[in-house]
Amino acid sequence: MERLPRGRHGLSPEFVARNQRERLIAGLIEVLYEEGYQNTTVSLIGQRAAVSKSDFYKHFESKDDCFYAAYEVAVDRIRAEVAAACGRHATSQWPPRVRDGITSLLTTLSTEPALACISLVEGLRAGRGMYDRYQAAVESFVVLLREGAPSPGGEEVPAATDEAVVGGIASMLGRRVLEGEAEQLDELLPDVLEFALTPYLGTAEARRIISAG
Amino acid sequence: MKQSRPELPREFVAGHKRRRMMNAIADLTAEQGYEATKIADIVRQAGVARKTLYDNFDGKEDLFLAAMDYSVREVKEAVEDACRETDGVWQQRVEAGLAAFLQFVEDRPGVARMCMIEALSATRASSARYDAALRDFVEMLRQGTPGGDHLPETIEETLIGGVAWVVNQQIRRGVDGDELAALLPELSEFVLSPYHGVAEIGSGPESESDSTVADFNA
Repeated sequence: MERLPRGRHGLSPEFVARNQRERLIAGLIEVLYEEGYQNTTVSLIGQRAAVSKSDFYKHFESKDDCFYAAYEVAVDRIRAEVAAACGRHATSQWPPRVRDGITSLLTTLSTEPALACISLVEGLRAGRGMYDRYQAAVESFVVLLREGAPSPGGEEVPAATDEAVVGGIASMLGRRVLEGEAEQLDELLPDVLEFALTPYLGTAEARRIISAG
Repeated sequence: MKQSRPELPREFVAGHKRRRMMNAIADLTAEQGYEATKIADIVRQAGVARKTLYDNFDGKEDLFLAAMDYSVREVKEAVEDACRETDGVWQQRVEAGLAAFLQFVEDRPGVARMCMIEALSATRASSARYDAALRDFVEMLRQGTPGGDHLPETIEETLIGGVAWVVNQQIRRGVDGDELAALLPELSEFVLSPYHGVAEIGSGPESESDSTVADFNA
C-alpha cells in the first residue's frame, strides 16, 4: 500500500488516519506471512507500513488488537470474492455456485498467500481471543455452502456434514500453507471440488460437474 | 519375600505422581487456558511438591507436552484397538474407530480440549504435535480404506480435518454424550461416502443412473 506524500498535502486528518490504519493492517498481514506470529513485532509492522510506533498505538492497543482487525479484513476479502463468484448463479443453481465459489477461493488464496496464512494458519493458532473469530469465519462459509444445497433422496444433509465439509477444507488447506505450498493451492481445485460436492450429489455427479468445468 | 503390608513399588508411586501432574495440567488448561495456568496451580491440584514437578519435568511446557503425548497415544490406541477388534468389512472398522474416538472425547473432555484446542495455541511445539497427531489419523484412515488411485490424493486429510472440526465444535460447546452419540452416524456417512461413491462408479455403468440429484444441474 502506497504511503502518503510528506509535508503539506491538504488531505483531511480522517483520511490520513484511515490510510495509516489500512497500511498497518496490510503490513501485519505481510510480516506475519514472512516471519510467523512470534516474530511479528509492532516495530516490524510499523516499518512495513511506514507508520511510527507511536502512531501504531493511536490505532491499536497491541499487536493482538491489530492482528484481530487484520484477521477480519483478510476473511472479509476472501469471503467477498467467494460470495461474488457464487452470486453469478441463482440459488437454484447450486453445483455451479459451489464450483465457482471454490474456484474463486483457491485462486484468491494462491495469488495472495499472505491472506491464506493469516486466515487458515495463524487464526487457529493465535490463542483464545482468535479462536472465536476463526469459528465465526468458518460458520460464515458454511452459510454460503448451504444456500440452495440439494437434499439427496429428499433427505436434508445433516448440519454436521456442512460443518465437516467447510472445516475439512480449511484444515487441509491450512496444512498445505504450513508446508509452504500456499502458492500452489489452486492446483488442489479438483480435489476440493470433489470433496465438497460428493456428500450432496454423489461421486458420479460431482465428477461430471468437475470435468464439465 | 513375605510382607504383611506390601508397599507400593517406588516406580508405581512415581508414575502415579506423573499421571496426577499430567491430569492436573489437562484439567487446568481446559478450564482457564494454557497461558493462565501457573505451576503453583498445577502442584496444588496434583497434590505434589513443587520440587517433584521439577524433578520430573523441565517446566510447564515440558509437562504440557508430556501430557499431550500421553493422551494422544491413549486415543490412538483406543481407536486402533477398536478397529482391530471389529470383525467385518472395512466400513465397520472405520465406524468402530470413529465410535472409539467419540467415546474418548465423551469420557475425557478435559484431555480432548487440551489436545484439540489448547494445544494449537499453547506453544509452537504443541501445535506441531497437534499436526503430527492429525497426520497419524490421516495415515490410519488411508491404511484402513480401499483408496486406490481413483480418489483425490488429499481425501483423507480433508475427511480427518472435517471430523476434527466437528468434534472441536462439540468440545467448545461443552461435551454432551447424547449429542456425540448422535454425531456417529452422520460422521460415519461423511467419512465413508467418498469411498462408496468410487466403488459404485466402478461397479458398472448403470450405477450412474442411480444419481437422485441429476436435476440439480438443469
